[in-house]
Amino acid sequence: MQEKYYHISGKKDGIRLESRVLEERIQEAVAGGLRNLEIDAFGQHGIGGRLWKNGQEPVRVRVLGQSGQRLGAMGFPGTRIEAMGPASDDVGWLNAGAQIIVHGNAGNGVGNAMAQGAIYVGGNIGARGMTMTKHNPRFDPPQLWVLGSAGDYFGEFMAGGIAVVCGHESQHSGIVLGYRPLVGGEFMAGGIAAVVCGHEYQHSGNVLGYRPLVGMVGGKVFFRGPCSEFSRTDAKEVAIGSEDWNWLCENLKKFLDALGRPELFAQMAEISQWRLLAARTPQEKANSSLRSMSSFRREVWDKELGSGGLIGDLTLLERAPVPLIPAGDLRRFVPVWENRKYLAPCEGTCPTGIPVQQRWQLIREGRVDEAVDLALAYTPFPATVCGYLCPRLCMEACTRCEQLMPAVDISRLGRASIQACLPEMPEIGGKRIAVIGGGPAGISVAWQLRRQGHDAVVFDRSETLGGKISSVIPESRIPREVIDAELERVRKVIPHVRPDHDIRREDLIRLQSEYDYVVIATGAQKPRLIPVPGKERMIPANEFLAQARSGAIDPGKSVVVIGAGNVGCDAAVEAHRLGAQKVTLIDVQKPLSFGKEREAAEKIGAIFRWPCFTRQITDQGVELSDGEVIEADTVIISIGDVPDLDFLPENVNTERGFIAVDENFRTSDPGIFAIGDAVKPGLITDAIGAGRRVAAAIADLAQGKTPAVESRQIIDRSRVSLEYFDPRITGFESIDQCGAQCASCGTCRDCGICVAICPQTAVSRQELADGAYQYTVDESRCIGCGFCADACPCGVWNMIENFPLE
Amino acid sequence: MPSNRPIAPSTLSVKDLLWQIHWNRDKCTLCGSCTAVCPVKALELGVFRKRDVRIAMGIQGSADNVFSIYHGIRQKTDPAFACVGCGMCSMVCPNDAIMPVRSDETDKQRFHINRGGQARSRGGRRNSTDSLLDRIKFIRISMLTDPALDAGRHEFQIRTLLGRILPPEKSLEFSRNNGWMPPVREIYPLIIGGMSFGALSPNMWEGLQMGIAYLNEELGMPVRICTGEGGCPPRLLKSRFLKYVILQIASGYFGWDEILHAIPHMKEDPCAVEIKYGQGAKPGDGGLLMWHKVNRLIAAIRGVPPGVSLPSPPTHQTQYSIEESVAKMIQSMYMAWGFRVPVYPKISGTSTALAVLNNLTRNPYAAGLAIDGEDGGTGAAYNVSMNHMGHPIASNIRDCYLNLANLGVQNEIPLFAGGGIGKNGNLAANAAALIMLGASGVQTGKYIMQAAAGCLGSESDRCNICNIGKCPKGITSQDPRLYRRLDVEQVAQRVVDVFLSFDTELKKIVAPLGRSTSLPIGMSDALGINDHDAAQRLKIQYVV
Repeated sequence: MQEKYYHISGKKDGIRLESRVLEERIQEAVAGGLRNLEIDAFGQHGIGGRLWKNGQEPVRVRVLGQSGQRLGAMGFPGTRIEAMGPASDDVGWLNAGAQIIVHGNAGNGVGNAMAQGAIYVGGNIGARGMTMTKHNPRFDPPQLWVLGSAGDYFGEFMAGGIAVVCGHESQHSGIVLGYRPLVGGEFMAGGIAAVVCGHEYQHSGNVLGYRPLVGMVGGKVFFRGPCSEFSRTDAKEVAIGSEDWNWLCENLKKFLDALGRPELFAQMAEISQWRLLAARTPQEKANSSLRSMSSFRREVWDKELGSGGLIGDLTLLERAPVPLIPAGDLRRFVPVWENRKYLAPCEGTCPTGIPVQQRWQLIREGRVDEAVDLALAYTPFPATVCGYLCPRLCMEACTRCEQLMPAVDISRLGRASIQACLPEMPEIGGKRIAVIGGGPAGISVAWQLRRQGHDAVVFDRSETLGGKISSVIPESRIPREVIDAELERVRKVIPHVRPDHDIRREDLIRLQSEYDYVVIATGAQKPRLIPVPGKERMIPANEFLAQARSGAIDPGKSVVVIGAGNVGCDAAVEAHRLGAQKVTLIDVQKPLSFGKEREAAEKIGAIFRWPCFTRQITDQGVELSDGEVIEADTVIISIGDVPDLDFLPENVNTERGFIAVDENFRTSDPGIFAIGDAVKPGLITDAIGAGRRVAAAIADLAQGKTPAVESRQIIDRSRVSLEYFDPRITGFESIDQCGAQCASCGTCRDCGICVAICPQTAVSRQELADGAYQYTVDESRCIGCGFCADACPCGVWNMIENFPLE
Repeated sequence: MPSNRPIAPSTLSVKDLLWQIHWNRDKCTLCGSCTAVCPVKALELGVFRKRDVRIAMGIQGSADNVFSIYHGIRQKTDPAFACVGCGMCSMVCPNDAIMPVRSDETDKQRFHINRGGQARSRGGRRNSTDSLLDRIKFIRISMLTDPALDAGRHEFQIRTLLGRILPPEKSLEFSRNNGWMPPVREIYPLIIGGMSFGALSPNMWEGLQMGIAYLNEELGMPVRICTGEGGCPPRLLKSRFLKYVILQIASGYFGWDEILHAIPHMKEDPCAVEIKYGQGAKPGDGGLLMWHKVNRLIAAIRGVPPGVSLPSPPTHQTQYSIEESVAKMIQSMYMAWGFRVPVYPKISGTSTALAVLNNLTRNPYAAGLAIDGEDGGTGAAYNVSMNHMGHPIASNIRDCYLNLANLGVQNEIPLFAGGGIGKNGNLAANAAALIMLGASGVQTGKYIMQAAAGCLGSESDRCNICNIGKCPKGITSQDPRLYRRLDVEQVAQRVVDVFLSFDTELKKIVAPLGRSTSLPIGMSDALGINDHDAAQRLKIQYVV
């Protein structure tokens, strides 16, 4: 039955109605019960939308003429709008349920923001069709049907709904919506969208236009015809299932019927002609479709550059990633067990070179006898010197002193050394050496040579060997029996020749011819005097001490000692012992005396004065440069001794009154060595050490080697950890306690702390064949953390840089 | 430390140090990772003696001293081993027991890092978070006034031009008279600035190059990278990837004989040649690659024997004036590739930049001018050069651009800005600000180090030890033990990520300005700043 349409004109009296007025007329008509309206449109905006006053009854709006923008905008369910010609932009904008049919082409923005309803377009559509559409789950999804093709940016931000682009007689297959058509068309105020203008077209056929489906998040798009591009990050092509196909066929029929083109159905209902695009899910979008970098590296990078990439031709170095804390060769640092690589401070400062810390190690191990005997390998006077006479440089240097902890007391071990047993001596053979002088230096060198089996003979006019030890040192400093015992030990193995006269030059030359080497150890017996008037009134300290020892001198009540060194102190003490009541020691500078000697002198009330310059010596005493006279019955001079070197061959050089030697105490005559005070005034321990060095040098020479010089350095004390030791110990009660408190600087004390502290269990201890041991590192486990080095009480472990990888 | 040790003027305590190690004894498991990883050996295992005085309640009996020993992590206080704050200890600590913390007052350490009369040098940055670029806002937001664009939806063509661009009438005349046209490259406006093979580790350098190649070949982004001075691996020179590379020549000319030898075998021309006259981090100063860093690999690429120190003098020896530099160097470098490759100089930011620029405008061969501002980073420079020398980039680039505009040639000779772009993380905003002030493009290095390789440096004097070859991330080290911490592919991937995100951000800035296919170069009406003096100086709007 032909419906009867109520006609509303968009003009009145030849003048176009405002959109507002036309809208009011349409709304009034519907409110008034009219359900079929025919509008003669003249570009009015939004015709046919917002019709709800009809309630459940359908309402039809037929649009003749030129519909304006937004035909059927905000359309309601039950509304059917039919534009008999083309339509302008934004057909069905924000459509909420109307069915909108456009028999011609439609402009840009068809279905923009549509949520329900359907739009049927019998021609092509412009740009941005089906954009920002939604599907509200309360309703059926919105539909857009286009018989022809879509313009550019189709389906932008499409969030739901179904679009069907049939591609029938489209502008494609030659006619395409070109690149970004009608950019200005977005601002077209009305009229027919020029969707077929097709200028600038560059595409080889694409029913969905240029860059379709950018930002699509929901819905699907059926299309028929060519489409080479769409936003593949947002959409994907899917197979058309039977449900989809049934839906498409069913609704295609309705679409074609609505357009009055049912005859097209047969040619279109062919599934092979259709394709379906659907939005990618967020999860699918998250999975990047980009090529992986490792694939790029393999397939592109290395293929172009060659195996190994950028520098594969220049290096074979492995460059694959490594973890932050690797073991083995990739560690940055490597621990090294530097046992005995460095000297302990005690050992390094001992002029004799006694490995003090090694003796304490033996004590800790309960090997007291060995600890005692060990000293004899270094000195023939372990008790005399270490126990009594030595100022003990080793103790001054002791690492413990750095933290105000008492130095390990070597004098205890020294005194115990009186028990040291004479080791078994080798058969005499090898070199023959003449040692001139039987003091500490001469005895030391002969002792060492004898221990090595060389034939060393000491020439000394004294009745007994010992030099100053036996003749000059006051008994207050050391019990006589200690000296005797040690000299007795020496006498057993060292031949002593007593020439009937002092050695002269020709004697020396003769000795040189009879022996392989000559060692001069004649000391410095010639007192140094000062050239002042009355110098003949002075008595040299050594002479005084020797006479005092035999009780052959009476110093009187007042005594002045010129030279307030340690010998001066000894003289002062002896003078006091022999009855002097006032003893004054004067010096040109702050007195250098120290230690026991100084203490003893101070104890007897000796007066130390400086700076005092002696002008002359009178029977009154010592007159100073300022005129003051210090009364003295005896004036002792003790400003040192110089050697008497008249016997030296001419080819032996001297320097300022002493024999010149090299670092091995060898003189300018390669067959002659010189040690002790004849070379340089020093301590007894210096003399003993020099003897040992010469013996070692001769031993090396005997083997045809260049004499070795001790190359080991004293350990950096900061490597030693004293925190392991009790800081409240103020003194030592026993040798055992001394041993326990020795940090064993530079020498492993076998405590195993490194094994315990290693976080990687990489450090272990190995027993070696001869009872020795070593600590080693499993490099496959070690990470180079340095804990072993930092925790080691002895400073034995060190961290070094791993070998360079290049 | 022994409490009674003698002290020297440079004896420091933990309190005096810039970076102080906070260590938690309760959490520490003594695994050794922190001491093993510390690049500067600032950490050690300490042996500690703990004393307890035990006194029974009510003073019953005698008081006792009880000592115990524990081990823990301790910081060295010798300035030679001062913690640099890199935080690798925290990174490896399984129990979060350790962390360097910056001193709460001005450190004393800074007064003692010139031992032996050696002025401090370091790598890194200026140690100033101050950034004028960060304060520039983009105030022109077109919604209805211009066709505002959507950064996500619209199609963008973010490109710039490197090369001498002649206007049509000049172009015709030039072509007629010379039979030659200056080469011009269409490239991405963010360039990775010159960082040499040698300053960077092999893995870092390859990662950057690989990322650039990926951006070009997989994503179609014509991003370019400058080699820095130090040559270029022969394989790269002979590959098609060379077209993504700007070869740098600087005063040491290292590696250039190798580059020349490779020319007959090149499949592609390089993108351009950059003549380095100066850099922002150490304006007016040269560099010295220490002999111990010149291993066989570096030596091969630079064309020198291993184990020799390589000086790059502050100046090119044979050039005595701007005219000479421009004429001689640019001509020479053009000739090397048959006048097909653009050549441009790079200078430090300086108050004399205009003089250079004016000279370049008169030289039709000059393909552009790159200016590196005071905030430029480096592998090694004297502290004083880094902190106090140089010119801020913003006003320098602005003056240059306005000068070009006065001459009416602002579109002819592109300016490239560097130094401090993204120093606080705002790469795209800083780049856009410089572009709108007049730069045709920007160069960045530090940001790439941070983002692509995880550089630990900061503007708070953190790490900054690029110069000593101990980079804990392996970025600036030639030691395989360190640079193998860096995965080439991951660096490349991060380069890609950085450029993709930069691209998005740049679009977010230019889209509201209505720009999608041409960069808003010199579009200073879009810029504002809430500092009146700065606004006046830069001739942009003062906004509050």
